[in-house]
Amino acid sequence: MGYLTATVQALYSTLRQSLKKPTTVEYPKVVRPRAARLRGSFALLKDAAGDENCIGCKKCEKICPSDVIALTTVKKPSPVTGKSRGYASDFTLNLQGCIICELCVQVCPADAIVMVREQERPAFSREDLVLTMDRLYRNGENAERLAWATASILAETQDPERTCLKK
Amino acid sequence: MADLLANPWLRGLLQGALLITVMMTAVAWISWFERKFAGRVQSRLGPTMVGPSGLLQPLADALKMFQKQELIPSAADSLLFRLAPPLALFLALGGAAVLPITQGMLASDLDVGVLYVLAFSGLLAFPIWMAGWSSSNKYALLGGMRMVAQGISYEIPMVLAALVPVVVTGSLSLSDIVTYQATHHWLVLWPPGLGLIAFIIFFTMALAEGNRIPFDIPEAESELVAGPATEYTAIRFGLIASAEYVHSLITCAFASTLFLGGWDGPFLPPLCWILIKTVGLFVLITWLRWSLLRVRSDQLMALCWKYLVPLSLGILLLTGAFIQWVG
Repeated sequence: MGYLTATVQALYSTLRQSLKKPTTVEYPKVVRPRAARLRGSFALLKDAAGDENCIGCKKCEKICPSDVIALTTVKKPSPVTGKSRGYASDFTLNLQGCIICELCVQVCPADAIVMVREQERPAFSREDLVLTMDRLYRNGENAERLAWATASILAETQDPERTCLKK
Repeated sequence: MADLLANPWLRGLLQGALLITVMMTAVAWISWFERKFAGRVQSRLGPTMVGPSGLLQPLADALKMFQKQELIPSAADSLLFRLAPPLALFLALGGAAVLPITQGMLASDLDVGVLYVLAFSGLLAFPIWMAGWSSSNKYALLGGMRMVAQGISYEIPMVLAALVPVVVTGSLSLSDIVTYQATHHWLVLWPPGLGLIAFIIFFTMALAEGNRIPFDIPEAESELVAGPATEYTAIRFGLIASAEYVHSLITCAFASTLFLGGWDGPFLPPLCWILIKTVGLFVLITWLRWSLLRVRSDQLMALCWKYLVPLSLGILLLTGAFIQWVG
């Protein structure tokens, strides 16, 4: 008798489930709303005047646990203000080894490198997975794609008094 | 044209070709339905890419099966291995010949239609055992042995349950049985109570015969890979798989003919009724498949021999008594 009632219960539960809307989303056609801090890919930002934020301090290169960031720095006058400061003359981020830990974003003193929410597309060749400086700045152009976390916002969230910066 | 059709051989050939085409097409859409339903039960979408809502998926699958490389294990018994899949499909399709689709529309009105369908579906255990034996694979062999063990268990209560309509109508011919139901009562309701129990026994055993969950013991994919079909590839595998679907479909049509009045029903044309009943039973089979767990081999045998054989014998005796004294 227990077997019969269990059978009826099972039939009821599958019937109920089959009448519900499926959970599956047909991905390329439909894209689910993304989380505000989704770690998809990377971008480099420019300031409001169009000057590159990156000061070429190499902190991201140093902290990267999987050593996928490589940059060379150069000191040159800013094309906007004319003041001389550090710039990255070349910046590459190799996504093949990236573990998406976001440490480079957290450590950036100039809020230059951030993550974008757009999901990483699979690529046909290994070269396609290397983010060059051009691609990183292009990723930063569309603000809607950016995850909101920058280094200073993250530091403020952790430590609203910003005592760590005052020291 | 009429002269040509008067030739019994040519007419038989045409009828056979038509039946096979219809059955295989039906099987294609039914497998589509099963995959769609399975998807919805598991909160997925099922096939969506080929054709509108994946309707052409069975066609794509068939093409894929035809194109794939065929492998025969070097240790296999080559002849039996090659013979089993077509034989399975042949035996599965054979039952369709005597099923009355509408009044007077059936390929062959055999006097012993019930016996014929039961014999053909009973023989289906042979190609499965052949496949299991000839594959020289332990999973296939175990699957084949389970099929035989299952076969000797489900066959007896199934036949005894199928005898209830025969006793009531006094005929082994399927068209006679349907005609009786169209003029008297549907046999699921008559004799009152007994018919329903006989139908439930028959349907449960039909699940076992079609290797459907909860009785898919021979091919138990979590234990035996694919049972007797383990070593099969390409279209040979396709033949075995489609044989099982054909067989399920024919068993559904057979059960609706024996117990649910066949083409008989109000308002709609007879063809609609037989389709509604057959597809309805198949939906029930699919629904059961995605709801229940697999029983063990010994549990099935205990169910058949300890409970269903005595029960169906008793039902058969009571039906005889009912016909003798009540009418």
